[in-house]
Amino acid sequence: MKKAMTLALGILTSVGGFFDVGNLATSAQAGASFRFQLIWALLLATILVIFLVEMSGRFSAVSRKAFPEAIRDHFGFGFWLVPFLVLIVVHLLVLATEIGGMSFALQLLTGIRTPWWAIPVGVLVWLFLWRAGFSAIENSTSLLGLVTLSFVVAAFVHRPQLHGILAGAIPTLPSHDGAQYWFLAVSIIGAVIAPYLFYFYSSGAVEDEWDASYVGVNRAVSFMGMSFGSVIAIGALVVAAMVFAPRGIAINDYTQAAVMLTDAFPFWGFMLFAVSMGVACLGAALEVALSLAYSVAQTFGWNWGENLDPRDDSRFCLVYTGAILLASLVIALGVDPLKLTLFTMAINAAVLPFVVFPFLLLMNDRKLLGKNANGFVSNAVVVVIVLVAFVLAIVSVPLAIRGGS
Amino acid sequence: MKLDLFRDILDQQLVDRSGTKMGRVDGIVLEIRDGEPPVVDHLQLGLVVLAARVGRPALRFVEWIRRHVHVRRNAVQVVRWPLVGEIASHHLKIDIDAQETEAFDWEKWLRTHIVEKLMGGSS
Repeated sequence: MKKAMTLALGILTSVGGFFDVGNLATSAQAGASFRFQLIWALLLATILVIFLVEMSGRFSAVSRKAFPEAIRDHFGFGFWLVPFLVLIVVHLLVLATEIGGMSFALQLLTGIRTPWWAIPVGVLVWLFLWRAGFSAIENSTSLLGLVTLSFVVAAFVHRPQLHGILAGAIPTLPSHDGAQYWFLAVSIIGAVIAPYLFYFYSSGAVEDEWDASYVGVNRAVSFMGMSFGSVIAIGALVVAAMVFAPRGIAINDYTQAAVMLTDAFPFWGFMLFAVSMGVACLGAALEVALSLAYSVAQTFGWNWGENLDPRDDSRFCLVYTGAILLASLVIALGVDPLKLTLFTMAINAAVLPFVVFPFLLLMNDRKLLGKNANGFVSNAVVVVIVLVAFVLAIVSVPLAIRGGS
Repeated sequence: MKLDLFRDILDQQLVDRSGTKMGRVDGIVLEIRDGEPPVVDHLQLGLVVLAARVGRPALRFVEWIRRHVHVRRNAVQVVRWPLVGEIASHHLKIDIDAQETEAFDWEKWLRTHIVEKLMGGSS
């Protein structure tokens, strides 16, 4: 019975927690500029994220260890140092984008500009982490995140042509703005496979005290949760394609994206967009901040755990406190949240080899995982997609920067 | 029982007698004796030890920080080998109270100067 509950809750929270500001920004821009043509990038990234999340849950359930601690245990500090530093930088960038997303959602609701909201939003995120236990954080914001299903409903309301969507599932060359097309493809992949996702999931499995009996539950949660979750991102892309592309509107800031639900829901579409964005970003900000604190505490062997009293893991709690403060300051200083988001998502894709390969090595350790170690298919899928994302990122990011995207 | 110092000891999690995580094994010091095989003398914990493993610039940076921030009593915490009570796959258990060691100087300072003040304000 407990496993059935875990399964149902896990799928719901994975769906609710899937969508964040990165998915919203990249899907909206991709739909507006290239209609359905970039759906393939979302599908490719979804396949990879299913594999990575399944692996991280399987690893922690069987070994009872989270990734950062296991990597230092097995390969030593020297091996872990570079991926660890990369992980810290991308976590801070993603945290800033989520705080930027929440702040913008509040701008939509109140009219007060985004930078003014950055510090209050940071305090709200911090209070959640300081006061709530792990399950409360994991379940409440992710369940609230189901409001993002409104993008799927809106996509159906617009009655898009099915063959157009299916055609987008096959990669094709763009007829215009090649540099932007590839940059967006990379950003979409980076948004779906943000490294915090599987590092957080691994520590979460330890917090939830999973053991080897959860391997099956984990497989179902990661497959169904991530698949349904990516449907929301496809929904947002389809809505943007139906609303903006016919009018020739390219999304250059969040204000333009804010009206994407008003065609489908004329009276409350604007409000629904703001609430969806705010809730999705809140859930993601909590996960990113926690994931960063887990990684640092586990690397140095400190006490850690969201269920402990902050007095018992002061260093762990002050890592997320400092990270939230830093990320809030970035937004408070007036950095454009949409530009920061697109840039960060591309960086996510570029650093994938650094953060994925250490963990792929662990997944193949038969002494540690026994019969639950990776097979050929898992390894091949992950290596191929990570390398494709890496090459695309290395080629497209400089092109996009030169082209001013 | 045979131990591989790199695989089984270096970088492993240390816990005190009550199970509190007190850091990781950042360094191992051997004693070389004439005509006899070397033996492990003590384990070391501390950012300075870790930085020395990374390289000279990292060590200089950590030493610069230590010159300006004086929270920790000693840069290196020494754990005598006989205090290692249990070597498990998840940790090395040490017969020691972590709260009383240099490894917890930062934890206690942050608890007293920041966390308890924040707790007072938020509860």
